[in-house]
Amino acid sequence: MLASDVHFPKDLAEALDILRRRPGILIFAGGTDILREQGSRGLSLPPEILCIQDLPELGRAGLSERFLEIGSAVTIAELLDLGEAALTPLLAEALRGIGNSAIRNLATIGGNLASRQRFMDSWPALACLDGLIELRDQGGSTWINVNRLVGEGGRPAFPEGGLLTRIRVPIERWDAYALRKVGPRFYPAPDTAVFAFVARAEKGILADVRIAFAGELALRSQALETSLIGRSLPLSPREASSVADNYRSLGSSLPEGLALQFGALVDAALGLLSR
Amino acid sequence: MTVSFILNGEDVSAKARSVDRLADLLRHSFNLLGVRSDCRSGRCGRCLILLDGRLVPSCLVPAFNVRGKEVVTIEGFAQTEDYRDIVEGFKSAGVETCGFCEAPKIMASAALLDRKPRPTAREILEQLSCAPCRCTDPEALVRAVQAVAESRARRLYRRAGQ
Repeated sequence: MLASDVHFPKDLAEALDILRRRPGILIFAGGTDILREQGSRGLSLPPEILCIQDLPELGRAGLSERFLEIGSAVTIAELLDLGEAALTPLLAEALRGIGNSAIRNLATIGGNLASRQRFMDSWPALACLDGLIELRDQGGSTWINVNRLVGEGGRPAFPEGGLLTRIRVPIERWDAYALRKVGPRFYPAPDTAVFAFVARAEKGILADVRIAFAGELALRSQALETSLIGRSLPLSPREASSVADNYRSLGSSLPEGLALQFGALVDAALGLLSR
Repeated sequence: MTVSFILNGEDVSAKARSVDRLADLLRHSFNLLGVRSDCRSGRCGRCLILLDGRLVPSCLVPAFNVRGKEVVTIEGFAQTEDYRDIVEGFKSAGVETCGFCEAPKIMASAALLDRKPRPTAREILEQLSCAPCRCTDPEALVRAVQAVAESRARRLYRRAGQ
């Protein structure tokens, strides 16, 4: 392949035009996930590449009253520089679990969300926070909840076509949170997964709770979360045990080792609601 | 494709193919042998460079993507006062790095001190995890980087007073 097949659009409109004309083109931002999968000296990349990491429209992040908005080419390090107050502690902790500080200088939030092979570190936190992604093409933009990036059997189902341009994270108060990465930490392996949990109470009642777990498969049950909402806090040991059993059933689709860890993490999260 | 960029302070151009990693381009086209490409996954730290001032593993950067950017390798950084501060700080703290990790630890320390002139022990250990090696006691590394921070602050203070 000749390097002349690499496109460096000067703005988003040009990038969308290239994408329309060349639908199979590889969208390239940080590239960490693409390059680290190739252990060989020479890279094997598709015949056409669209480099988007320097597009000014995709490199901004900022807070409004209602949400944090992040351009898809913002690096993980740039996001962490915003601080926990802007990111929420849950998302900040998820981002700190990615690679090392040098890799976080390259890796982008868009690349972390758009992986087709597996769910990466940011997905469980963004799923709990009800994050939205914007997909753009020349016809306009579509906002999708990150929870809808889960396909059949809990596998990733990132939409084809369109360019991931922005991520929005609603700003909400959370009273409890937990995030835990299990399995090999540095680069994802089959037994790497991330567990995320947030909860909010109002006048001693559990007003909202969200639990997500993802690696090669994603688990989240809004039915189980709804069954918890409205209960008085602290949960009784019997209530916690019953909910934990339901979550264990949900986790039975996971490989055995991950299912056990998922069960233990659910127990720990429910423990936070039981005291 | 010809890529033009700034390398260690000089405008340069090189023929790059889309199969080339930046680490290999730096070694083979510019003979910068302080950049090594061992793990090719960003883990070992032996290819760390500063790309537009940010520490990155050059094995995870395709050569075509360096177009218009500024690259500093250990060879270029070794010409600076900041490099001398770091080497002397390491020496004064009794840190003796090995040939495997010396350049990456220096580059990682430089990038950290640029961003955080007074880093905490946790920040130092986090940053130096980019250049993993068992040759050096982590506590000595923390002392060393903090000593570098002090000496750099003194140098900048003296310069401001002149």
